Amino acid sequence: MLGLGGRKSPLVWVMHLSVLLLVVLWTLPTAGLFITSLRTADQISVSGWWTALSSAERNAITRTPDGSAETQVGDRYVIAGNVLKNGGEVVAFGRSSLKPTQFKPGEVADLGDGITLSVKADGSYELSGPTKLEGGQRIFYTARTPPAFTLGNYAHVLSANGMLRAFMNSLTVAVPATVIPILIAAYAAFALAWMPFPGRSLLIAIIVGLLVVPLQMSLIPILTLYNDIGKATAVDAHGVIGTLMHYSGLGQMSDDGTQIGLNPKSYLGVWLAHTGFGLPLAIFLLRNYMVGLPREIIESARVDGATDFQIFTRIVLPLSFPALASFAIFQFLWTWNDLLVATVFLSHQQDSLVMTGKLKDLLGSHGGDWEILAASAFISISVPLLVFFALQKYLVRGLLAGSVK
Amino acid sequence: MFGKFLTAVAGLALVAGAASAADLKFKPGTDPQRFHWDSYDAFAKSHKLDGQTLTIFGPWRGEDQTLFESVLAYFEAATGVKVNYSSSENYEQQIVIDTQAGSPPNIAVLPQPGLIQDLASKGFIQPLPDDTKQWLLDNYAAGPSWVTLSTYKDKTGTPKVMAFPFKIDLKSLVWYSPGNFKDAGYKVPQTMEDLKALTEQIVKDGGTPWCIGLGSGGATGWPATDWVEDLLLRMQPPEVYDGWTTNDVKFTDPKIVDAIKEFGWFALNDKFVDGGSKAVATTDFRDSPKGLFTSPPKCYLHHAASFIPSFFPEGTKLGQDADFFYFPPYASKPDLGRPVEGAGTLVFITKDNPAADAFIDFLKTPIASEVWMAQSSFLTPLKTVNVAAYANDTMKKEGQILLDATTFRFDGSDLMPGKIGAGAFWTGMVDYVGGMSADNVAAEIQKAWDGLK
Amino acid sequence: MLQQLITAGLTIAVGITAAFGYFYGSNILLDLIFPSKAPGDRGTRNIRRAGVIRPWLFVGPAVLALTLYLVYPVVDSIWLSFHGRDGHEFVGLKNYIWFVGDARIRAAFLNNLLWLLVVPAASTFLGLVSAALTDRIFWGNLAKSLIFMPMAISFVGATVIWKFVYDYRAANQTQIGLLNAIVTWFGGAPEAWITVPFWNNFFLMVILVWIQTGFAMVILSAALRGIPEETIEAAVLDGANGLQIFFRIMVPQIWSTIAVVWTTITITVLKVFDIVYAMTNGQWDTDVLANQMYVWMFEGGGDYGRGATIALIIMLLVVPIMIWNIRNARREMEGR
Repeated sequence: MLGLGGRKSPLVWVMHLSVLLLVVLWTLPTAGLFITSLRTADQISVSGWWTALSSAERNAITRTPDGSAETQVGDRYVIAGNVLKNGGEVVAFGRSSLKPTQFKPGEVADLGDGITLSVKADGSYELSGPTKLEGGQRIFYTARTPPAFTLGNYAHVLSANGMLRAFMNSLTVAVPATVIPILIAAYAAFALAWMPFPGRSLLIAIIVGLLVVPLQMSLIPILTLYNDIGKATAVDAHGVIGTLMHYSGLGQMSDDGTQIGLNPKSYLGVWLAHTGFGLPLAIFLLRNYMVGLPREIIESARVDGATDFQIFTRIVLPLSFPALASFAIFQFLWTWNDLLVATVFLSHQQDSLVMTGKLKDLLGSHGGDWEILAASAFISISVPLLVFFALQKYLVRGLLAGSVK
Repeated sequence: MFGKFLTAVAGLALVAGAASAADLKFKPGTDPQRFHWDSYDAFAKSHKLDGQTLTIFGPWRGEDQTLFESVLAYFEAATGVKVNYSSSENYEQQIVIDTQAGSPPNIAVLPQPGLIQDLASKGFIQPLPDDTKQWLLDNYAAGPSWVTLSTYKDKTGTPKVMAFPFKIDLKSLVWYSPGNFKDAGYKVPQTMEDLKALTEQIVKDGGTPWCIGLGSGGATGWPATDWVEDLLLRMQPPEVYDGWTTNDVKFTDPKIVDAIKEFGWFALNDKFVDGGSKAVATTDFRDSPKGLFTSPPKCYLHHAASFIPSFFPEGTKLGQDADFFYFPPYASKPDLGRPVEGAGTLVFITKDNPAADAFIDFLKTPIASEVWMAQSSFLTPLKTVNVAAYANDTMKKEGQILLDATTFRFDGSDLMPGKIGAGAFWTGMVDYVGGMSADNVAAEIQKAWDGLK
Repeated sequence: MLQQLITAGLTIAVGITAAFGYFYGSNILLDLIFPSKAPGDRGTRNIRRAGVIRPWLFVGPAVLALTLYLVYPVVDSIWLSFHGRDGHEFVGLKNYIWFVGDARIRAAFLNNLLWLLVVPAASTFLGLVSAALTDRIFWGNLAKSLIFMPMAISFVGATVIWKFVYDYRAANQTQIGLLNAIVTWFGGAPEAWITVPFWNNFFLMVILVWIQTGFAMVILSAALRGIPEETIEAAVLDGANGLQIFFRIMVPQIWSTIAVVWTTITITVLKVFDIVYAMTNGQWDTDVLANQMYVWMFEGGGDYGRGATIALIIMLLVVPIMIWNIRNARREMEGR
């Protein structure tokens, strides 16, 4: 379409190969995480994820049940069972941690006192002795097992109590927190790109400067402000305004139940906070895109007597769809994956937990359940990816509209 | 619309709360050999706070949160208070933000005395009632140690009892596999000298004695601080330890440097550690105990706190597949007794209300501890609890170590200022296993400490 | 649950309507107050007056939000940077003197310069290449999504992913880290990558490049598609080949977007601490300023004075970029 793909030149192949290389490099780590999310914790810590695809030889230990499980066969007491739970084949076994591969399957190991142990290739074992057995004997075995995957991690994460609620909370936070800044930023970007006014380039510079303000710096001042607003708006809880506030859900009752003020930790607060933090980049990106729009279109519309508002809504906004869509994707990503802003500005009770927080909770106080982390990462990535796919087609629409003109 | 929805949610939450209060984990009155139900009844009678609410913010998430909430259910049932417990991954940061911005919870629970001191000196903590000190002396084993731990300086610099220790982790433990010990013919060492001899013996037999992992993401290095603290308590009198945590004894003091070097004896010998000393700093502490249970074993010994079984391979049975022994004292220093290092969580009031006071009272009842003890991962030095309530023998044995302690000391790195105990000390230990000399490491940490003043 | 969905939907609808209402309403109001159809001189004067006010109607809400959520905290931080750790006691320039003299900060500063050189350049370049190439192949959308994927993964997910790349096990053990597995497969000795002095910085940078390339690609791809077809067709008619078209025609056309992407990533580099915090927390000489800022701000109760000082100095580092952007903006505006 751009005059390159017409002939089958070697360049085309180079192109395909380089994209392929890039994609492989970029996907490989993620693929690793994906495979990891399908393995059990014990598998993860002993072998690399790439080995999950082939059958692996693995040393393991199992323990026979205790004496109560024994049966009497002839004059011998026997405890029998199978070391393999998920198929495979035993290639060696042992009776001591010092020599875990001492015996071949089918051989009989002497445990002393006339007690013997044998393990067959199919994993079945037999512990037998002349007198009653104590059991609890450790069996060391080396098994060749076929690739084994589990959906257990996903089941664990998805079935966690309150996950659906957390999912809804995340959506409630992320969608308005994406839409509001885009709207505000689009207007501002238009003014900064196409409406001359004094102080414009200074404002642009300030916005670039504000890009770098670390979020962490704002948390305490803003939350303090929210709390102060909550206190300043406190009124008698049983008065007209107080009752209204209570039933509108915007209010927060004081401890003794006599006063009510605006709730410092509400969805509104989170939306506005995300808006504030996302605006600089939104304005920066959108302004840059709008500045690049063909001047003739806008000039001719002005000449035709269109107001700035009409120019914006009828011409600039539709033409800026690719930029709007790409920013929407990013802002959604950030608000969706954010935990910090949500925990600071929403109350951290269970019922207002966002999904990132809920997923973190599954890891427990000490963390480090890699398999749960991996599964959570894939569950939380799915929504932003859907957004990406949904908006991807809009990345082109601006172009089409532009070329039709 | 929005309001209706929110009130509906609030209603749901209330219903949920009431439901959980109704199904208490252990029905009051049952199993009287294990539980002090009389303490529950007495508490319930004297604390009627129907309709009040209490917000608690703590470090427990996941399984621990469920356990803590099962304890809270008794408090709710007894008092009629509605408790909202919440936690967060970055609870340290969260509590700093919430107190600073003026929206603290009623009760906060933290495992770091250093951070509590910081909050106390900024005036964010309400002192506990005056009788708390005497109560701790009377009811906690090694009581004076606990009083010290509970006392913090307020805004004016006056020391006051401000935090209540609840739920203790035991640090001074060495984990091993009894089966592997039996196979190789090793005995549980009773003295540090024996432990060192055992270490060398294992190498002679062709094995690797220790699994040590200091990796912990942003907190990498902390497991090494536990080693140094445990060794210091066994090499020097507790006063040195106390002075060290307040920097009256400098990091560069030969007594401290010797303790670091003693840790080096274990960790810096490539033959003593699984993967060699290079692997020490990069192995995640949550992965390192797994080496005890591989076939053949990657190592025979693992020094870790009482919470480490959560990271044992699935299906590991405590007492059978895994067991622990007390990190032994030196035979050459009999006068130091049996020191115990621990860590734990401290409960304090950040926004006073009657429910918060009642909650502290509740924690003093044996039943508050017993309910958690009877499930898992809870140890207490409270002498009035029924030891029979412990869910299994491993916990009972750990609890006994706490009750038998002649000296109890809290995790020293948690007592130091955050920038040291959760900063320079960690980094220093990572540098140390990376090859820097103990003297240089100590000098670096001391320099960082001086920089705080 | 359904109710929450409806409520959220309603709120969004109300919000959007309110926003449009504000802009539309305020414009109408402005036209009512200063009617351009007024007779004679007054009409033109009104148009001029409305023209002065109108831009502020458009940027007003943005300026308000920016002031509240960003400018106010910055001012607050400036005040804090002259105060002690609890934010009450005035300490003058002590925090700044500490900043200049502290060895750890200096190391972080130098590392930061390294990051600033490598990450924006690498991400922008790779993003540009992938944007240009994926636009031209039939499976481009799939490729794009795959390259974009790291962007959608949270930092926590990313750190787990890279833990499984850089993980180190001793030579005689099974490697579970991808990099070491490859190295040992080729017969090399495994290495604890994140502890290798100096180079470990690059191993951490790779993570951010891996994430940010998707960002650069999406923005640049939108810009590339905005290039008028006629321009390229003209070049093709002139006999230019693919590479020439790319470098001589397309790149200059989207130069301002490249600058924007570069700027944004540079700023991201200055701000991002999650990667360093989660992978090393600055140990093994991998510290960066943003991590130090976070550590001083929140850990162990925090030291607001020093935390704010570091944050402000990070902001000062952006001044050259700000100036550069003003220049760009002025150039674009010429004649408008």
